[in-house]
Amino acid sequence: MRVLVAEDEPVLAAQLRAALEAAGYAVDCAADGREAGYMGEVERYDAVVLDLGLPQVDGLSVLKRWRAKGFAMPVLILTARGDWHEKVAGIDAGADDYLTKPFHMEELLARVRALIRRAAGQASAELVCGALVLDTRSGRATVDGRLLSLTSHEFRVLAYLMHHMGEVVSRTELTEHIYAQDHDRDSNTIEVFVGRLRKKLPPELIETVRGLGYRMVCPP
Amino acid sequence: MRLRLLVGTLVWAVLAVLVTGWALARLFNEHVEQQFHVELSTHLDQLAARLAVDVDGPPRLDMVLSDPRFERPYSGLYWQIDAMDTQARGLLRSRSLWDYLLVVPVDEPPDGALHAHVVQGPDGASLHLVERVLRPASRPDQALRLIVAANASFVDAPVLRLNRLLALALGVLVAGLAVAVAVQVRIGLRPLARLRDELAAVRDGRGAAIEARFPAEVQPLVDEFNAVLARNAEVVSRARTHAGNLAHAVKTPLTVLANAAAQLSDAAPADASGKPSERALARLVREQVALARTQVDYHLARSRAAAAVGIPGQRTPLRPVLEGLQRLMAKVHARSGFEVEVLACPQGLAFRGEAQDLQEMLGNLLDNACKWAASRVELSAREEGSQLCICIDDDGPGLPAGVREKVFERGVRMDEQVPGTGLGLAIVRDLARLYEGEVVLETAPMGGTRALLRLPRAT
Repeated sequence: MRVLVAEDEPVLAAQLRAALEAAGYAVDCAADGREAGYMGEVERYDAVVLDLGLPQVDGLSVLKRWRAKGFAMPVLILTARGDWHEKVAGIDAGADDYLTKPFHMEELLARVRALIRRAAGQASAELVCGALVLDTRSGRATVDGRLLSLTSHEFRVLAYLMHHMGEVVSRTELTEHIYAQDHDRDSNTIEVFVGRLRKKLPPELIETVRGLGYRMVCPP
Repeated sequence: MRLRLLVGTLVWAVLAVLVTGWALARLFNEHVEQQFHVELSTHLDQLAARLAVDVDGPPRLDMVLSDPRFERPYSGLYWQIDAMDTQARGLLRSRSLWDYLLVVPVDEPPDGALHAHVVQGPDGASLHLVERVLRPASRPDQALRLIVAANASFVDAPVLRLNRLLALALGVLVAGLAVAVAVQVRIGLRPLARLRDELAAVRDGRGAAIEARFPAEVQPLVDEFNAVLARNAEVVSRARTHAGNLAHAVKTPLTVLANAAAQLSDAAPADASGKPSERALARLVREQVALARTQVDYHLARSRAAAAVGIPGQRTPLRPVLEGLQRLMAKVHARSGFEVEVLACPQGLAFRGEAQDLQEMLGNLLDNACKWAASRVELSAREEGSQLCICIDDDGPGLPAGVREKVFERGVRMDEQVPGTGLGLAIVRDLARLYEGEVVLETAPMGGTRALLRLPRAT
């Protein structure tokens, strides 16, 4: 799962990045509206945390432009003013949720989690696939109640596949959603992560669709 | 002003009419008198022409004079011939004189010259008279005075009649002028009356500025007034933006601080024997940040409202605000089966006040309702006299009657698990009261809480 943080205050941006990375997300940061707008259009994000008071291009305009161009990723807006009309304007511009500064980091994480889950069409905070259960709140995966030990990249691959259960996910798509922008990417390493995951999971949960990618198949 | 214009115009009109009337009457009088004299002298000429004086006999008339009034007794038109030398009056006279002799003062006019007198007539009426002294060619020694007289009433009657007519006509004219002036003043002052209506509308919040066009004489006034209104609004909005910027400037550092404190307390082990001061510091920072946030929010909302209350010309249609918040809540509180619905909001219903304040009040109430609702929040609005009445119902657990007043206190939170500052309701009540409205909590028909908000209505 990959998240874009568009926040101009450097300390807050660093805190957001740290908290989100600790929660298992790949995080990119943009410090102004123009950069955020560009990144949102070029990269594939599962969620965006967007401050409305960005320099150069304000958050609302960035958001409107994304929606006008058909980018539908969930967006959580951060507002400092707390004016309701600003919140209404944000929602009308296409935001999915808002948070008023100052906020608690746990609340932000909860909102981001809920947005990603909702976008994937999952109602529950726990994603279940047979004996495998992924608790999005705690970021833990268990098989028959037994905790799996996963690296952050393995976790992201698993989380992405579980959010898109039953769909074919290409390697490129996985690459786009598990690495932050500045990370050295190699789609061959995806095969390595999937191979390691298969060893830790019950057999035949992750299916290879030849020439297309992977699919998470849940036993009925 | 109307009276002043009316009286001023009427005084001048009456004066002008009086002068005109007097001049006309005088002109007519002169004309009639002149006519009368011409007529009398014509009669005199005729008399002279018909007078026959023989060498030895007394003078006599060849024919009677043509005007029949000379033959009718006391008809008012008379003639008489006196002999000057013998002082014999009434040598000859008209039948109309009957047995009366005209007594004419004796002056010494040159022969043949006309002159006029006013004398007493037979029936006591005054007579206008012209006379001329003639010496007939046949008897140059005998001077005859020819007199023609007529009742003054022949002159006075038409003059009197005309004066009456003139007075009537001029009276009608003055009355007509008065009506015209009244109408004119009324029409002329109508823009002012309209201006008054428009101003009242602005005060009642039916418009933010006077938009109608006025005559060129009034428009500058209207423009000036609009400029004042616009400036008022601008000052408020600038103050507001300023306050917003301040909040922004303060809140981002607060967020940073709070998060740093949270990290600190997370990093320290729960049974921190090593660094108790660090945990205490973290807690202190968290508490103080929460307090600072509360204060900033509260005073921001209050100062904003205090600036806006009492500014005329504010009107916020209710429906768009309700629907905007409904969209917001439906999205933010999205969970399966949850619905926010606007049940009733008559078109044209509007709040007499500032849009942001209305949003602040409704947003806080609605947010609360959505937090507590099981699956449904209903909004309805209606007008009640000069007020708006907005109900926000939820189907949540509801509040015990005992704590309904308590939740309006600053910083009181019903549940620490549901996020919030504990300020929302206090702000709502403060704002509502600034606008001379009220907010109360009741039991909703659905079983949960009903927040009832009363606010001034814009007509």
